[in-house]
Amino acid sequence: MTKVDLRNVSRVYLSQSGPVYGLSGFNLTIKDGEFICVVGPSGCGKSTLLNIVAGFEPPDMGEVLINNKKICGPSTQRFVMFQDHGLFPWLNVTQNITFGLRMTGVSQKECEERAATLLKTVNLTRFATSWIHELSGGMKQRVALARALAMDPEILLMDEPFAALDAQTRDMLHEEVELVWQQTKKTIMFVTHNVREAVRLGTRVILMSAKGGTILKEYPVNLPRNRFLEDVEVVHIASQIRDDLRQEVLKAGEAEADIAT
Amino acid sequence: MQLEQGVKAEISRLRLSATGYKIWRGRAVRLAFFALLLGLWQVVSSLELWSDVIFPPPKEVADALVLGIRDATLTTAIKDSMQRLCIGYGTSLIIGIPLGLLLGRKQLLDDTIGSLAVGFQALPSICWLPLAVLWFGLSETAMQFVIIMGSLMSLILAVRDGVKNIPTLYLRAAPILGATGWRFYRYILFPASLPAIMTGAKLGWSFAWRSLMAAELLYVTSGIGSTLMMGRELHDMALVVAAMIIIIFIGLLTDRLVFRVAEGFVHRRWGVGGGN
Ligand SMILES: Nc1ncnc2c1ncn2[C@@H]1O[C@H](COP(=O)(O)OP(=O)(O)OP(=O)(O)O)[C@@H](O)[C@H]1O
Ligand SMILES: [Mg+2]
Repeated sequence: MTKVDLRNVSRVYLSQSGPVYGLSGFNLTIKDGEFICVVGPSGCGKSTLLNIVAGFEPPDMGEVLINNKKICGPSTQRFVMFQDHGLFPWLNVTQNITFGLRMTGVSQKECEERAATLLKTVNLTRFATSWIHELSGGMKQRVALARALAMDPEILLMDEPFAALDAQTRDMLHEEVELVWQQTKKTIMFVTHNVREAVRLGTRVILMSAKGGTILKEYPVNLPRNRFLEDVEVVHIASQIRDDLRQEVLKAGEAEADIAT
Repeated sequence: MQLEQGVKAEISRLRLSATGYKIWRGRAVRLAFFALLLGLWQVVSSLELWSDVIFPPPKEVADALVLGIRDATLTTAIKDSMQRLCIGYGTSLIIGIPLGLLLGRKQLLDDTIGSLAVGFQALPSICWLPLAVLWFGLSETAMQFVIIMGSLMSLILAVRDGVKNIPTLYLRAAPILGATGWRFYRYILFPASLPAIMTGAKLGWSFAWRSLMAAELLYVTSGIGSTLMMGRELHDMALVVAAMIIIIFIGLLTDRLVFRVAEGFVHRRWGVGGGN
């Protein structure tokens, strides 16, 4: 079953040096329960893609269909995990995690129970009543993951959520996300610039072109689960993608140089 | 393990006593400074350079204070002023905060009411007094009108600016967490702009306080400003200075008791530095 369907989606930004294509004529279908990873050179339009699927920005052309229905604006069924956590400083850890539940009218008692479970999942039980500014970067991101899981959305959109984390925390969160995906069969769209992370997590990896916001190539990843970043197969597929990515970056660099001269 | 705990306790004890020492030293220095000023005042007035009517000595001011409190003229004046202030400033808060939040979100409102507020802010609120007296008579309402016109504008504009500076990230997090409609205003916009609201409230208070004093000075009713004016008319400079001291004291006390506490609340949550 098709979960997400992007049809000929374009998004243009007007900058001082003329129009910039965030996305142009972008087509992508994501099946229910897929774990899509998006990689590409910096500035290729990955965040634009995620923002459009989330409904934060409307596409200038084309349409985005979720469950075969055209979207209008953001929804609690498409939760976004931001790179900069986006937690609320006026709430403590537990209140942040249960904020969405309270908004949807879940009782105080149930909120507390859910928070306790989720805090255990991300190993932060000791910090249940801490303020956000008292946490380290990795801990904040763990709270952000717990908040996303509390919402239990159909689609989880993640924009480089683990980019700034240390290796241990990242590995732990990889396992956590993988486990949640296996248990709930959510559709996940995961943006990263780390090719190996993409292969480690995804069922399919999409490589975007440096300029123009289109898909350059797709790579299915049919490896058994409970993968590791260091698995030989993971490294093997990742190196293929990396080669293509490097070529793309070089090509873009040459084009840039051409314009400059 | 026990050793570690001992070390921790020792460190925290040292730290506490260090900050405690700083606080107490600051207090002692301030106290000494004000005692020095008081002494200087006493010395200058005992030189008898000017008559007591022009330059009242500390003793006479203290007497005026004691007398005013004993025969309840000063305490009634304080009570009247504070009552006006609470009603006027409270109304400003109740109207200003929601209006500021709305103005920060609705461009149409900002272009209309917002620019009106900018215009009115340029007008010292005491200029409203003649019209206020014409409209409401020589009444409490006229006084409160002046206070509201003084504090409301700066409050609205400060809250509006706070809302406009809320990070996009919070605004994007709101709808995906289900905070839409009035919930968005109550649970996202209001707390996210709390540091700005604090600044606006403080600014609004100082405007309200100044407006009230100006109004009481100009229009003889009751209240601490009128007491000051009465002192002038009776050539009782001791009473004038006593009223001035009370005005300063109330200003400081509000800053300490109300705004310090509120700022501490914001700091604990946002971390030191406040803001966003
Ligand atoms: N608000 C905006 N205004 C103008 N141009 C924008 C805006 N947002 C994005 N762009 C442009 O659109 C292009 C795609 O940006 P986007 O943020 O989607 O890239 P990205 O792939 O997420 O990059 P990164 O990996 O560095 O996060 C870039 O060239 C960028 O300059
Ligand atoms: Mg990005």
